[in-house]
Amino acid sequence: MSNLHAQVVVLGSGPGGYNAAFRAADLGMDVILIEKYASLGGVCLNVGCIPSKALLHTAKVIDEAEEMSAHGVDFGKPKLDIDKIRDYKDGVIKQLTGGLAGMAKGRKVKTVQGYGKFTGANEIEVEHDGKKQKVTFDHAIIAAGSRVVDLPFLPEDDRIVDSTGALELRDIPKHMLVIGGGIIGLEMATVYRALGAKITVVEMADQLIPAADKDVVKVLEKFIKGKYENILMETSVTKVEAKKDGLYVTFEGKNAPEKPQKFDMILSAVGRRPNGDLIDADKAGVEVTERGFINTDKQMRTNVPHIYAIGDIVGQPMLAHKATAESHVAAEVIAGKKHYFDPLTIPSVAYTDPEVSWVGLTEKEAKEQGIDYGVGKFPWAASGRAIGVDRKEGFTKLLFDKKNNRVIGGAIVGVNAGELIAEVGLAIEMGCDAEDIGLTIHAHPTLSESVTFAAEVYEGVCTDLPPQRKKK
Amino acid sequence: MANLTEVKVPDIGDASGVDVIEVLVSVGDEISVDDGLIVLETDKATMEVPASDAGVVKSIEVKVGDKVSEGDLIVKIEASESSNDDASDSDSESTEDSSADDSSENGDSQPSSAEESTEDKGEQKSSKPKSSGGSRSEPITIPDIGDSEGVEVIEVSVKAGDEVEQDDSLIVLETEKATMEVPSPFAGTVESMSVKVGDKVSQGDQIGTMKVTDDAGDDSSEDDPKEQASEPKAEKETSVKDQPMPKSEYKPAPVTVEPFERSEGDVIHASPAVRRLAREFGADLSKVKGSGRKNRIMKEDVQSYIKFELSRPKATANSGAGAPADLPEIDFSKFGEIEEKSLSRIQKISSVTLQRNWNLIPHVTQHDEADITELDEFRKSMKEEAAKEGVRLTPLAFIMKALVASLKAFPTFNSSLAADGETLILKKYFNIGVAVDTPDGLVVPVIRDVDKKSVYELATELGEMSEKARDKKLTAKDMQGSSMTISSLGGIGGTSFTPIVNWPDVAILGLSRNQVKPVWNGKDFEPRMMLPMSLSYDHRVIDGAVAARFTVHLSKMLADIRRTIL
Repeated sequence: MSNLHAQVVVLGSGPGGYNAAFRAADLGMDVILIEKYASLGGVCLNVGCIPSKALLHTAKVIDEAEEMSAHGVDFGKPKLDIDKIRDYKDGVIKQLTGGLAGMAKGRKVKTVQGYGKFTGANEIEVEHDGKKQKVTFDHAIIAAGSRVVDLPFLPEDDRIVDSTGALELRDIPKHMLVIGGGIIGLEMATVYRALGAKITVVEMADQLIPAADKDVVKVLEKFIKGKYENILMETSVTKVEAKKDGLYVTFEGKNAPEKPQKFDMILSAVGRRPNGDLIDADKAGVEVTERGFINTDKQMRTNVPHIYAIGDIVGQPMLAHKATAESHVAAEVIAGKKHYFDPLTIPSVAYTDPEVSWVGLTEKEAKEQGIDYGVGKFPWAASGRAIGVDRKEGFTKLLFDKKNNRVIGGAIVGVNAGELIAEVGLAIEMGCDAEDIGLTIHAHPTLSESVTFAAEVYEGVCTDLPPQRKKK
Repeated sequence: MANLTEVKVPDIGDASGVDVIEVLVSVGDEISVDDGLIVLETDKATMEVPASDAGVVKSIEVKVGDKVSEGDLIVKIEASESSNDDASDSDSESTEDSSADDSSENGDSQPSSAEESTEDKGEQKSSKPKSSGGSRSEPITIPDIGDSEGVEVIEVSVKAGDEVEQDDSLIVLETEKATMEVPSPFAGTVESMSVKVGDKVSQGDQIGTMKVTDDAGDDSSEDDPKEQASEPKAEKETSVKDQPMPKSEYKPAPVTVEPFERSEGDVIHASPAVRRLAREFGADLSKVKGSGRKNRIMKEDVQSYIKFELSRPKATANSGAGAPADLPEIDFSKFGEIEEKSLSRIQKISSVTLQRNWNLIPHVTQHDEADITELDEFRKSMKEEAAKEGVRLTPLAFIMKALVASLKAFPTFNSSLAADGETLILKKYFNIGVAVDTPDGLVVPVIRDVDKKSVYELATELGEMSEKARDKKLTAKDMQGSSMTISSLGGIGGTSFTPIVNWPDVAILGLSRNQVKPVWNGKDFEPRMMLPMSLSYDHRVIDGAVAARFTVHLSKMLADIRRTIL
């Protein structure tokens, strides 16, 4: 058993882990990055954000080509080569993870493949192919991420997959059930529908993407309603029977079909849980909560001062961009900088069609916090650009604190909503008020204009809409 | 011809809907400028609204019980033809003021010079026997305010258009020691004020401009009223642009005196990079005033806040008002009825300095008694004679003389400890600070060169200083440079107390009420008038034995005041 030592050891090479390792290396520390898989990048790059976006791009082009038939351009029915689609997706992953490996090398970050577990306060044992290796460290950054939540009643069956399995794109089922109307389930539903599957979504809550505001999700719901076979709200799955000819699913709840329904494939996407329980953190003295999270202070330090934790494992929201921001803080704090993780907001995006994005407070949250807020909402039906691309179902909504007219939140639904939300995040971080946003000239005709217009609506000075009730 | 002038409620602070509690004039009254018209009562104080014009009251538009706000009409005044320049000047002003209210085309909405009015009114007034002399625009600058730099403006007492007399208060400043008024260097009309409450000023800073009327007629304005009128305008523009930048690094209220605090609901905004910078230096953003758009906190604000904090004397940083914060808050109302009363400004200031001095200086208090029987007899015998010269002969004037004699004999008492704590600065001057109790709190004016002044002079000056203190007219300079301080409670009572050394002094002499006591003279008890003295001193500088010798010496001086001239 060989021994390795580094000033900083990072456990996990997802967006949190590799960024922490790279930042630490850039700050002059010697770094070891431990990853259980052969390629770097974690869930995000290998079985998450990136492959799903590659497939969503494919789906988008298929959908748009179909939409064009109504505008006089008929491409005909697409011929799908599932292997090639998969290859494209895998190529994207390869390119990115290969890039990471190169960047690690360039920074002299040593990567150690294997499953790492703590064996002491300054020691991790990495196991790979039955071989064990000890890695000692001065500082550790735990970036071990999260895993899919399993539904205990689902039988073992090839046709029942989680998001990782769905991204493998083995084949296109005729009838597909998506359990969970959250971001992951709906994104995969978008892909599989475009590739030809008939989709049923079942969700326990009374709205899809429960974290977002109802009016925003309503637009998505309305848009997909006719396209999906079924959307079963306030309903849950109680039993799945795997038979040769299909998976027979029994539902319960408000919209439950009376008889068990037959599906060819089931995607279980009911959430993710942190991996705090899988790394023997207690052997290093690091406390793990009952649910598997590791608590940190605002400098990402755990209860053990030289051990840090970042990303999904430290709490919600489980988003790559949050992990990345935290990773820099952790590495910089280790390097002696007095940095803190204190963003005002972290954006969320569902890359569905249409996309749904939000940042800052939702109306729900603003109400809960008792904030006297005002809404500026610009419907895309009045946007020349949205009409031009024949996607006028969306809207841009900004929330302002009535006390000082500062923007406190925003939500966008529509094509490219995920890109458009960035500006609202910047506005919140910079403390913009409605006037600042309204007076910032946006290019015409763009969808981004809708952000300006929403601010103007709040101010009562928007002239791109029918006359408003006077505000001032 | 006669002009009807409307007199309106002037700027009365934030108050609106203020009760009229008295009307001081009646129709037909002839009034002069600054005569009281009505009395208003706000929740803070009652105030008289003075007449801005002279003339005859034609109508009164308010009555007792009315609620008024800034700009409300109070009276109409007819300025008689015979009225002097002053009256017509202010007459035209107020006319213009009223037009300025609705931000008319009158581009220059802040007139105030007689010339402008003349111009505006055309021939109507050209025949007026204008100006026995010309008038000129003078910058108003901050006079010598002692060593203080970057002193905060806590009140602006005048506004453009106000007529002021020389020495009228223009603005009120607050130093670490006290508040002081900046008197007008001229008599005339305020053209513009370029400072506002919260600004910081230092000696030489321009705070505004004033139109001063000269007696000499050499630059008579009759020929070129236009030029005259445009001149102050130009100046006004530049005075806006060149608003004196406060010299102090850090703009907000000095944290030493009154920590800058945001009112509730005030939103702090700092962008992510600014938040990071603040974190790095441990700067509490809630204490940083934002200079950016919409009060956003900029990097520069954090930097100057940090500089400011670093430049603060360490003693105040880790003592002072900080301590009470550690104490738990107690809800006294659960024990019975209570009332909350905020400390006066001076009390707040002195609480910080007293706390600092108490923490900084290792205090020892030496108690002694001086036999002042003869001194008192002599003083009483001279009282009448002194009174004839207009002097109120108090024991304190004699005690100061005696104290100077003792300071000469014990030079370490007339010293300060240098900041390095290793050097003693011995003073060759003899300035005695005298603690004066005012309704607002304790202040310590300093009587200079006590060694060179007669007892009469000292007694007179003591009277003047006390009056100045009570009228809040003391300047920072009046309260600086003491050799030692006397705190006398003799007029009230008590047998001894432990005064706190008034840093940078190294000693303070506390005096309690003198008493006739039986004193053993070797044969029998004699009734003697004894003055209890409590000498607190900085033990780092003065040893106990020296302090005891000092009080013995001082007792000797007081026992026979003739010794002081030896």
